[in-house]
Amino acid sequence: MKNFTLISNNNSLCDKVISREFINGSALDVLIHVRSLIHLGSILLTHPLCGNLRPNHQPFRSVIINRKNGLVDLESLTLIENAVHVYESCKLINIHELDELKRVDYAFIDYELMRESLEQYNLISRESSLKPAPLLLI
Amino acid sequence: MKLELHRLNVKSLKFGDKTGFADGVLTVNKSELLALISEDELLGKNLDVDLAIPGESVRVMPVKDVIEPRFKLEGKGQVFPGMISDVETVGEGKTLVLSGCAVLTAGKLVRFQEGIIDMSGPGADYTPYSKTCNVVLVLEPADPNMDKHDYEKACRTAGLKAAKYLAEACKDVKPEKIESYEFAKIRDAMNSYPELPKVGYLYMLQTQGLLHDTYLYGVDVKKILPTVISPLEVMDGAIVSGNCVSACDKNSTYSHQNNPVIADMLKRHGKDFNFVAVIVTNENVTLADKRRSSSYATKIAGMLGLDGLVITEEGFGNPDADLIMNCWKAERLGIKTALLTDEYAGQDGASQSLADSCPEGDACVTAGNANEVIILPPMQKVIGYAEEANVIAGGWNGSLAEDGTITVELQAITGATSELGYTKLGAYTL
Repeated sequence: MKNFTLISNNNSLCDKVISREFINGSALDVLIHVRSLIHLGSILLTHPLCGNLRPNHQPFRSVIINRKNGLVDLESLTLIENAVHVYESCKLINIHELDELKRVDYAFIDYELMRESLEQYNLISRESSLKPAPLLLI
Repeated sequence: MKLELHRLNVKSLKFGDKTGFADGVLTVNKSELLALISEDELLGKNLDVDLAIPGESVRVMPVKDVIEPRFKLEGKGQVFPGMISDVETVGEGKTLVLSGCAVLTAGKLVRFQEGIIDMSGPGADYTPYSKTCNVVLVLEPADPNMDKHDYEKACRTAGLKAAKYLAEACKDVKPEKIESYEFAKIRDAMNSYPELPKVGYLYMLQTQGLLHDTYLYGVDVKKILPTVISPLEVMDGAIVSGNCVSACDKNSTYSHQNNPVIADMLKRHGKDFNFVAVIVTNENVTLADKRRSSSYATKIAGMLGLDGLVITEEGFGNPDADLIMNCWKAERLGIKTALLTDEYAGQDGASQSLADSCPEGDACVTAGNANEVIILPPMQKVIGYAEEANVIAGGWNGSLAEDGTITVELQAITGATSELGYTKLGAYTL
């Protein structure tokens, strides 16, 4: 059975997604929760690391899994363990210490990098979008 | 396929009444160039063009893309096909190149990302674009609330238009140097140099979403299946960067146009190996896409009967998974691989360099540790927005001191750890 679910600490993104679990915590907390679900049999559908931002340069993390119980998928387990290791080796940004404009832009880019994948797994409608913070022009 | 690059060597820049080239100096008619980029209604009214010459006390930031001015003098199509020119296939004929010159696009997009280019001082050693005479476009959106995709496209297009405009203005000048490149048909290549190994180049492109995209003939590369391309097409701007992050290891359009892996493989073709093909592939977000593209790209390499594959990555993090999949899938088809990447090994260099690995990846070249911290002393002039140092990738709150000194990781410097190897620092076999 397919039960595609987004696991994310990006509240604004979660609001747009049909099947999701919001993690009120850090990017590492997201990965550790995903790891627990993988231990129970869930399968990773997106890579747990960002496209090209270090963990200390993006406070949000969003991962899509096929949520299910069963045997452990070893490929998913290897990927999530490596990702947890990368995040544990970095000083993470505390979302609550960010100023609002930066927080909104980080959330926006996290959404943008997940958008295609969410569409692929029918978790988001094409009309749905997240807005960045307005630019302050001089 | 045969392409001639007609080179003019730009040693300096100045503003003047007529855009053109004489005695090593590229003159830029500022108002004409401004009028050209202002045609785009998505860009604001306060656009500017500035010049940055090697050795000057100038800092440019935040830089989005770097583009080499080129213009096709003869042959099908025009530079940057599918972006600002028709979609006709390029890579044949004659192309004018303003060597030593670059167009930089600078401006705010979101509150982090993008890069620094210092034209002198310690930071200049880490970016190849401190050695080019730079025409800098300082850009802003018409509306601060404009859709970011539209604004990113407007910035990208402005840079490409400026690069074509500058080279086109010099089309009647006699070239100082002509380089001739030829790339054989696959049928002929297969029958050539039977004593040499057949080697290909697997060219990985960042394709994750906004600010992380690359275009091939105007097509978003995340939508393609891996495909075969001639290296001469790349020289004519068939591959364009829409990638702004991280500055150190995004492949700028300039580094695609001047891809040193392609240049070296063409030089060594017929001597050390038989350079048969370039395969372009993507780096997507979903694991299904990663599996599909790595299987398909290595399948093409297998169908071509390649003995070896040079693989370059773009970016860090989940693209490491694509790199590693490409590596072991090729190796298990009997194709030897050599990987070119960079490292994110922490500020002390002690952390794991890549997020993924495999036993088959035993021939790996690094372009440096992007987490290395560097102190950039203040410059007399900043083109762009210095306050962005606090928020770009590789910077942190407090990166920018009151006197203008910036303390950042190398990843904030444009092209510092280019995974195409387009850097000024490196090791050479003597």
